[in-house]
This record gives sequence, C-alpha cells and structure tokens, in this order.
Amino acid sequence: MLATFEIREPDYGVLSPAAWPRLIVIILGLLSVVYLLQSIGMPKEKIEAAPRKTMVEFILYWRNVIAVFTIFALYLAALPYLGMLIGNILFCFILLTVLGGWSAILMHLLIAFGASGGMWLLFTVVLEVFLPRGSLTGV
Amino acid sequence: MDIFLEALLNIIDPVTLIYMIIGVGAGLMAGSIPGFTIAMAIVLTLPFTFSMPPAQGLATMISVLVGGLSGGLMSGILTGIPGTPSSVATTFDGFPMARNGEPGLALGIGVWSSFCGGIISAILLVLFAPQLAMVGLEFQPWDFFMLVMFALTVTASLAGEHLVKGLIAGAAGLLIRTVGEDDAVGVGRFDFGSDYLLTGFDFIAVLIGLFAFSQLLSDLRNPVTARNALSDRKQVKVKIEHRRAIGILIKNWVVVIRSALIGMFTGILPGAGGSIANILSYDQAKKAAKDDSSFGKGDPRGIIAPEASNNAVEGGALTPLMALGIPGDITAAIMLGALLMHDIVPGPTFIKDEPALAYSIYIAFFLASFIMIGMQSGVLRIFVLVTRIKTYVLATVILTFATIGVFALHNSIDDIWTLFFFGILGFVMRQFGFPLAPMILGVVLGNIAELNLARALAIDADPMLFFVRPWSLFFAIVAVFSMIFPIYQKHRDTGSLLERLFSPMMLLSLSLPLFMMGGLLRSTLAMAAIAVSSVVLWRRFGNKPKA
Repeated sequence: MLATFEIREPDYGVLSPAAWPRLIVIILGLLSVVYLLQSIGMPKEKIEAAPRKTMVEFILYWRNVIAVFTIFALYLAALPYLGMLIGNILFCFILLTVLGGWSAILMHLLIAFGASGGMWLLFTVVLEVFLPRGSLTGV
Repeated sequence: MDIFLEALLNIIDPVTLIYMIIGVGAGLMAGSIPGFTIAMAIVLTLPFTFSMPPAQGLATMISVLVGGLSGGLMSGILTGIPGTPSSVATTFDGFPMARNGEPGLALGIGVWSSFCGGIISAILLVLFAPQLAMVGLEFQPWDFFMLVMFALTVTASLAGEHLVKGLIAGAAGLLIRTVGEDDAVGVGRFDFGSDYLLTGFDFIAVLIGLFAFSQLLSDLRNPVTARNALSDRKQVKVKIEHRRAIGILIKNWVVVIRSALIGMFTGILPGAGGSIANILSYDQAKKAAKDDSSFGKGDPRGIIAPEASNNAVEGGALTPLMALGIPGDITAAIMLGALLMHDIVPGPTFIKDEPALAYSIYIAFFLASFIMIGMQSGVLRIFVLVTRIKTYVLATVILTFATIGVFALHNSIDDIWTLFFFGILGFVMRQFGFPLAPMILGVVLGNIAELNLARALAIDADPMLFFVRPWSLFFAIVAVFSMIFPIYQKHRDTGSLLERLFSPMMLLSLSLPLFMMGGLLRSTLAMAAIAVSSVVLWRRFGNKPKA
C-alpha cells in the first residue's frame, strides 16, 4: 500500500562511484518489497480502521500544513527579488495571519518586524553574515 | 597541562561564557516546551555556531544540550506534560509531588539529579573516551564500515515499533547523502542534469528540514490547538528548595549513581538516547526499592532516577563520538555535524590530534551543568511567560529563524529549498510512522560508511573480510541480533524458543570474535561469555520441571 511510495528508480550511475548507491538502492528495494508484503499481509480490519475522507475534508484537515507549504514556496520564489529582510518580514507576517486569523493583525505585524528584523540585525551586524539583497528592493 | 590551560582559556573566554549562558537558557526553554524537542533546539543552534571557532561553537551546543535535558523536568513537574521525551518518567512522581504541595522540592530534586547525572557522566566521559579511542585504533576500514552498519540497524530497531520502516528510513538516509559529487572521484551522482542536485544537499539543511521543520508542521497541524497557548497557567510561585533536595539526594546516592550509569550506558549504545534511558532507570529504581508502594505518588526516587539518567545519556553519547567518530544518539549526530562543518573529522585519533578541542568539550560539559543549576530558578519565571505564547506564533518565528540560519551556512538560497523539501519529506514520514532517527544517522554517517567501504575494497577486494576480521565480525553479529531484538521483544514472557535462545545465543556468537582478537583480557571475556551462556542454556533447557 504505502510501499509504492518507497520504490525508487534505479541508479544510472557511472562505474565505481555507482557501487555504493547501487548497493543502497538494492537494499532499499528489498526492504520495500518486505514492507509491501507485510502491508498486503496485514489483516483487513486494520486497514479499514482509517476512515475514508473526501477531498474537501482532506484539505480542511491539513489546511495549516498546506498553507505553510504554499506560503513557504512562494516566499522562496520571491526571495531573490525581495531580499531577505523584506521577504522574511512578509513571510512571517503572512504566515502568522493565515494561521492565527485576522483579529490579532497588529500583534502579528509587530512580531514579524521584531523577530525578522532582530534576527536580520543579529546576523548582519553581530555575526557578519551576508544576507541576500533583493534585486527589486536593494535591501 | 598546557593543553588543559589552553582549553580552559578557550572556554572561560567572556564571549564563550556569554554564549554558553544563552545556550543553557535557550536549551532550558526549548526543553520545557512540549512539542519542541532538544534535537530541534540543537539543530537550530548549528547555523549560529558556524562563524564561531570550533571550541566556542561546540561549547554553545553542549550548553543547549545540557539545558535542554534539564528543561524537560520543569513542565513535567509543574504541568504533568513532559517537555521532552527524555523526561516522560519524571512526571510519574514529579507531578504528584508538586500537586501534594511540594513543587519546590520536586523541582529541586529534579534539578540536582540532573546536575549529578551530568557531572557523573562527564567524569566517565573523560575517563572512558581515551580508552575507547585506544581500542578504536585497532579498527580498520572493514570494522568502521560494520560499526556504521551496526549503528544504523540498532537505531532502526530501537527507534520505532516497526523495524522495516526504520531500516527503510536508514537506507533512504544513506541514499540522500550520495546525491551530488562523490568524495573520491568527484563524479556527479543522481544529479539528473541539475546544478542544484550536483552540489548535493547540505546535510545541515537536511537535518533542520527533517527534524525542525517537520516537527513544527506537526505542531501546527490542528488549527484549533495551534491557536492555543502552550499552557494556561497564569503564575507559578515556586521557590526551588535546594538544601532539602540535596539532602534527599545524598540519602539516595545509590539511586543517583545507578541511574547515571544506566543513562551513560544507554547513551554509548548508538541509537538509544534519553527517551529510553529515563524510563529504563525509573523501572530499575522501582524494582530495586524495598517498598515500591509510594512510586507514582510522589516518591523522590521516582524523580531522581529519570533525571539523573537522562542527563548522563549525553556523556555516554559523546563517548563514541569523541573516541570513534560514531555518534551515540541523534543529538550527538548533530554535534558530529558541527565538527564536520569546521572540517574536523573525529575518529580514534581525535583526542590525540586535537587535545585542546577535546578538553574544551570536557570542560564545557562540566561548566554547562553548573550554569544550568544557576539559571534554573531564573528561567522558571520566563518559562511561565513562554508557555503563554501561542503555538502558531512560536512556530512561525522559529521557521523564520530557520530560513536565515540555513542561508547563513553557505550563503545560498538553494539550501533553503533543501530545508523546504526535507521539511515536507520529514513531515510525510512522520505521518506514515517512519522513524526519523535512523534516517538522520544515515545522512550523517553515509559518507563515512562509503569512504571506509571504498578503502576496505581498495586494500583487498575480498568481501569476505567483512565477516572474517574480528571487530568487523563482532559488529556484524551485534547488528544481526539488534535486528532480531524487536521480534524478541514481542515474544517476551511467552516462553517461546526465541525468547529462551536470544541472549545466550548472542553471548555465544560474540565469544567467537572475542577469541579471534586474542589477548588475555578478551579471551577471558570470551570464556566468561561462553560460561554464562552455557549456564543460562542449561537452566532454560537442561532441567525442565517434570510436567
């Protein structure tokens, strides 16, 4: 059942550097087969125990997780343009608001500025790490 | 002595001390918040230590670790919810004692047991690590390869209920490490034509993704609880009763030492960490007590045992790391990551080659325990404040921090993508019940395994050597038995053949490589192993009661 997710495409590697990954893939393949067999051999009642969900229920159940993934992906895509300071403040604020609702929006804004800004200062000034500047914003 | 002074100066440098104090404080907080594990705190500390000198960075991480191990007891005793899996057993007696009106005493016992456990294990670490390193000098590539395999199988068998899932996770971890250019020749592997994949995944980004990101997602999953505060306690007016606590500890010194030893041993064993040690030693304390009726109702011994053992675990986990380069648990694996980040590869010669750094680790370990004692009362007040923060706020802020931290590793946005992908992977694996510990060990130890495999085969292409050389055979045998262990556990107390055969057979098989190693001590050990297993076998099979 789940084991289908575990089966990986075989290695196409070159000569000797391929030996180790190939060994792992073989072991992984064998383990996956064992797991598959175990899953098939599992008594039916156990499988039925998990209630079936419709698509909408599924999305509702996982909505926070999906929101985090989506916002994070958007943030990463926008990062080269916005730069880390602005990008992080926006990311922090949007994520807080999506997860926490609109009621505490002022607090979210403060937290976003305080946390991201403080962190940015700590890294650029104290630890002297260069953080990415945005190509559009210049900061 | 010069080296010791150099190490001491490394640590008592004011900047390092400040970092250590912050580290212990952060660890105490992280440990005290349910849902935020110590491993997560340490993995998030990694990026900060990047720009520090190695000794300073490690001292900071050790402080977080020591703080984290002691932080779990605060929420465990005051709220009944363990802050970390390492202090589950602390709640059994700590919470009842606090409810009986003695929260100050319960905290005091917890704090001082933690302290004693930490100090005992630090002493043992200083004594043992060099000895183990001497043994480690005998290891050849075959032996190291098998040792890594053993570390993976034992972690897989201990990490979850499902051995196959654990092994799959371990193998997947090894595979993840192979992506990118290989160390020996520089040939691209699994790059599928992409530059991003060709450079390989930065394993610290992988660790943070797998552990921290996925944990945060699990904490956020439920939209209702995500908006709740971690705890609704308004105020805690507790004064830790140090003097009475120390008095009780002195009276129960046997429990302290036994628990610390259990913790130390559990720590040395790869894969087994504080989450196992605390329950194991609680159990032992209860079994050893003449009258165990007060356990579960606020018996001080029930607080001493888990807290002394979970702090002792780290001294244990650092022992194989410093002596052999093989971490004893996940937190030690992350420490290994910190060392590798500074291009220090620990192995049997580590203590000899880098004595100043090794001593710095020892000193930091001692010092952090003292800082922990000093800070506990102060942090107690902040703890109450932090637990009033809502989960989603904390999670979002930590996630934002993680992005900056990961970026700072190599100044690369690609690493944040790695964090993201492995955050998703880790979350999915958690949901399907795959343990993450073996995967992380696989990622950290992957290239060590490959390097030693390549070396071994370069010296001699005969694969049989892996099963003929004594140490290699030794680890292979323990690996096999560690894989059978979960099945053995299922059959316990059923009187089945497997149950009766398991331990004597293991001793018998281990005597073979011990004999092969030669020397008086090991031959004697082998003889002893044979003697013990024969006695056990004879008892179990020889004189069956006549039915």
